[in-house]
Amino acid sequence: MPLRSAPLPRMAGHLSFMRAQTKAISDVRPGDLAVLGIPFEDTSAPHAGQSLAPRALRETSVYFGWHANPQFSHPVDIDARLDIQTDGLHERLCDLGDISLGQGEAIHAALKLAISQINRNGACAVILGGSDHLSETVQTALPDCQTVQLGGLPRHDRDFHVAPLPNGYATTCKLETAAQLTRLSQWRDASKPLFVQFDLSVFETSLSTLCDRPRLGGCDLDTVAKWLSALGQHEVNAIMLTGLNPNRPGMGVVKVGQRLMVTALLAFIYARLKFGIDHLGCLTSKEEVST
Amino acid sequence: MTAMIATFHPPLSQPGFRLFDGPLCDVADVSADQVGVVGMPSDWTHSSRLGTRFGPGALRKATTLLQSMRPQGASFDPDTSRRTVTATDWLVDCGDAEITAQDVDATTQAIAAMTEGLTVVGAIPLALGGDHYNSFPACLGYSRGLAKRAPDARFGYIQIDGHLDFSDRLGAWGSHNHATNARRISELPNLDVCNMVWIGIAGWVDGGDLALIEKQGGRVFSSSDVHDLGPVEVMRQALAHAMQGCDELYLSIDIDAMDAGYLPGTGSIVHSGITPRQYYDLLDGLAESPLGGLDIVEVSPPLDPSERTEFLAAEMLFRVLRRFRTRPEIGL
Repeated sequence: MPLRSAPLPRMAGHLSFMRAQTKAISDVRPGDLAVLGIPFEDTSAPHAGQSLAPRALRETSVYFGWHANPQFSHPVDIDARLDIQTDGLHERLCDLGDISLGQGEAIHAALKLAISQINRNGACAVILGGSDHLSETVQTALPDCQTVQLGGLPRHDRDFHVAPLPNGYATTCKLETAAQLTRLSQWRDASKPLFVQFDLSVFETSLSTLCDRPRLGGCDLDTVAKWLSALGQHEVNAIMLTGLNPNRPGMGVVKVGQRLMVTALLAFIYARLKFGIDHLGCLTSKEEVST
Repeated sequence: MTAMIATFHPPLSQPGFRLFDGPLCDVADVSADQVGVVGMPSDWTHSSRLGTRFGPGALRKATTLLQSMRPQGASFDPDTSRRTVTATDWLVDCGDAEITAQDVDATTQAIAAMTEGLTVVGAIPLALGGDHYNSFPACLGYSRGLAKRAPDARFGYIQIDGHLDFSDRLGAWGSHNHATNARRISELPNLDVCNMVWIGIAGWVDGGDLALIEKQGGRVFSSSDVHDLGPVEVMRQALAHAMQGCDELYLSIDIDAMDAGYLPGTGSIVHSGITPRQYYDLLDGLAESPLGGLDIVEVSPPLDPSERTEFLAAEMLFRVLRRFRTRPEIGL
């Protein structure tokens, strides 16, 4: 009797985001979603551990690698009762690995170069970060870009903010009315690159717990997923995940923060791949993928 | 010296924790209508985040501590507006089943033997996991015991869970693991799939499993259904569906149906799951149901340094066992 007669456990093996194919940056094609990790430690942060975020996000994403797991080749959205086809995901999602972090300006130069090349190739960069200090570097790689910021501290009035304000002043922005979507559409200038910064602090703190910048009164998962689904219908040039510290004292073992982020990011990924969308946040079986 | 050894000094109380601080008892000594507790400290049939082998101990400790905080005498139940008194001898703890690592069949038979022994005499087996696979041997023993006690009896099945657990196989873990327990239970002789109900399913599920369940008449309520319809209505419909043509109910409580923001200490967490209040309302809906057996699984204390998971799970047991724990005060 063979030692193993079934597929190997999917938790083992080479780690890539959602078990996606790995690629060299020069091989990225138009329409790809190119995942890039930045294991950067912000030494001014109150807790050490942000550099562990890219790996934590990848590890958690494996759980959602439906397209790479023959055991679950036929996922259904239980709420919408709709089939999800993941073939396009297999073709277009790729993992480029991590930026090699050097000293000082070398980090910014390497990141800027990578983002520029991904965009020249016509792909969308999905940046797995911890610290948000490098978000400005991404912006410089996308000249004259517009920025949508979910969570985090507000930087510029010209940006589109979702729950952007510090505690005590926050009015959580819910995606409940068409007016708010209209506001996003009116703000958006399609002639400019679009950058989305997705910070863990957009979530209500009692949900995430793994964030260095707590936000009481933040958004729930459904709200964030709906925002990311709506944003995914735009030509986003780069989305950067920030704010996750998997090493937060005592809570790293729980892994709720990375699960929240990856679950919400899925809404963005599927919207970018142009899975048919009945209404915000709900996927249909009609996938429009050019391969 | 001999005289000293012959002198028996009983301890003032039994060492260690028992569920609800109940007495320890051998399965053979449990009587009808008592709840008999069986520990299943096994998590090696789980495929990812482990730690549920510490679940039975954590539940025993948490229920004992909660019990000590509750009124021990006559009390007023604000949810039912009834005065109650604490029941005595309603629960006994039979200890843990013998777990044999790497031998799923031996572990299965050991657990099943205990729940079968309890069911045969008319007691209600309450099995403490452990990962959710252990629900199968617990229900297997219940099924065997019911077949001996009432050969023509059928039972309905309700599983509160974030996942269906209806796969036939799971990769290298094969056919007996935490993703296949409901499938194996569906194959028991005195249960039909049309009497099986799932509540609290969240996110994405395998389409083949869902289609197979619904094709055979099973019913699935998602966590969104609980949010939209309300837990009371969902449990009313679930109970009606599960009990069609059945005599008893088997309940499987997987704590991971609760949103991970509230309850992080479990192997396979879900988001946008049901809230603690909704979970308790669901269980309250079973207060008068013909409960024949039940299990509670997936409590993993190492995954929750705050320890709130085991207390949330302990409160689930307080809710679902309310009618056993208390009796209406006579004369009111």
